Amino acid sequence: MQEDNANTYQDELFDKLKKSMSLKREEECIGCLIKPALWWIVEHPSPKIGEIEKLIGGSCPYMKKGRRGKLKPWAGSILGVIKNAAETKKLTRFECIEGLHGFVYPVAQGDRLYGYIGTCYTKTDVSPEILDIFSAFTDVIVREIQKELELSKLYETLRPRAIALSTVHTVHRLISSTLDLTELLPRIARLSLQIMRANRCSIKLVDAKKKTLLPKATVDLREKKTRLKKVKVGKWAPGKAVKYGRPIKGDNYLATPLIDEDVIGVITVYDKIDNKPFSASDQEIMSTLAEQAVIAIKNAQLYKEQEQLTMGSIKSLAKVLDTRAPGTYVPRASFVKISLAMGQDMRMDADEVKSLEYAAILHDAGEIVVPDDVLTKPAKLTGREYAIVKEHPAAGVEIIKHMKALKSVLPTILYHHEHFDGSGYPKGLKKDQIPLGARIMAIVSAFEAMITNRPYRVVKTIDEAMDEISRNSGTQFDPRVVETFLKIIGKKDIRSMLERELYG
Amino acid sequence: MDNKKIFSSELHLKIIKFFHENQASIDTPRGVATWIGEDRAKVKSALEDLVKNKILIADRATSTTGYGYTRDTALISKIEKILSSLG
Repeated sequence: MQEDNANTYQDELFDKLKKSMSLKREEECIGCLIKPALWWIVEHPSPKIGEIEKLIGGSCPYMKKGRRGKLKPWAGSILGVIKNAAETKKLTRFECIEGLHGFVYPVAQGDRLYGYIGTCYTKTDVSPEILDIFSAFTDVIVREIQKELELSKLYETLRPRAIALSTVHTVHRLISSTLDLTELLPRIARLSLQIMRANRCSIKLVDAKKKTLLPKATVDLREKKTRLKKVKVGKWAPGKAVKYGRPIKGDNYLATPLIDEDVIGVITVYDKIDNKPFSASDQEIMSTLAEQAVIAIKNAQLYKEQEQLTMGSIKSLAKVLDTRAPGTYVPRASFVKISLAMGQDMRMDADEVKSLEYAAILHDAGEIVVPDDVLTKPAKLTGREYAIVKEHPAAGVEIIKHMKALKSVLPTILYHHEHFDGSGYPKGLKKDQIPLGARIMAIVSAFEAMITNRPYRVVKTIDEAMDEISRNSGTQFDPRVVETFLKIIGKKDIRSMLERELYG
Repeated sequence: MDNKKIFSSELHLKIIKFFHENQASIDTPRGVATWIGEDRAKVKSALEDLVKNKILIADRATSTTGYGYTRDTALISKIEKILSSLG
């Protein structure tokens, strides 16, 4: 293989030399001084006498005089000169026939000799000065061609690697862009399939307690699909990859373990689309992809844990608040669902919708500063009492602001009592000055207060509450949000959930 | 854009050639533009044309989109023939 590469290099070198305009110009210039001359090139380091005969024979001035028999000894003497030039790696002059001259220039790089450029039959003996000039120029031309060849070889070697590296980088960006495991795992499976040019990919995660692998994502392009199933650690290729913590490769499958501190799962690809077996290079690429996948999976798992922790804290806080006015602060699941559905319908992004979920539970947390007798007063509040109630959004922010994870919820809590026409509190904001989350929460909390038991008002039916919200569209509530609210409440599943929770 | 137009567009053809020669590659518009030496905005639009024609597959995330080559072997063979005929 190495010899093949060397021969290719030699062929390319002489191909470029023969096409080199610089060499042609140099031959013309030198040719003017030493004419007439026969220029020849030997494209390998060890020519035979027959080859030299062919090169010099056609233009030999004595051939026409019927002295063909003399050609062989002349070729032999030139071959001797070539051998000498090969040893010294220097340009060598010689007398080819009586009164005619020539020289041989060895084409070399360091110790390696590739061939020769030479002349014959010049009537003028070439002066050492001209030879020095020729030698220096030819050195430059050969070196430039060699550099060009090296660069192109380097480009050919590096380009596929750079493209592969760019693929790795793109995959990293794609899988780092989500912290949602239900989105992440299918994405990793799709990308593995694409990179491996395979027909099927499955990702299984380890259930450490049961010593099994649970299928979490699969992409199957075949018509006859395989059923997802649990696999015991140690069984089949995925199980073995997990047990031994190394890739397990067969002709039509490649199982790569997902290794963090421990093995957390396995990615298995099956059946390449060109029906070729998985290669060592495939194994290397999958191992790199698995390393990236592990980081993304661990991040998503940590994020989920963090989210559960935050939700747990919020629910605990709601429970504590609820002891003051039972049934007021622990929200019914339907109100949370309505808030989320409204956020999604209004094209809020995933983080904003999550904030809305937290706000649905915590929006009235600040009522902790409102005395019990005011909070549970069955009659109309006095001006002073109403002033105390109006402080609850800011008080809610004071309580929650210490939880960093809930920072994005604060504007919704602070402004959920603002009115669309600017008549609300605490700041009298109007229209788009009020954050969208707060405009949504204003409707959901008002609706909740109307249809659930409150000491200060008579309970309304769902339809009555919807009518009241419609009547206040454009004054208290944002008309666009009211429209969305009515659409969501009109949905069969939401309506039945509400009715079940309210009326049993 | 129909297939005939796609194969007569120099830019689209350059992108197809790139993915045909690097079938395991997944890259962003910026990456593909670098590899084929073309303008990123034009490449982005051409990549979407190729997705519509099912020659490329797009994996879309919030921060970027990764483009990869079709896995349809019949389509790959067809493209191989077209590219060979174009020389």
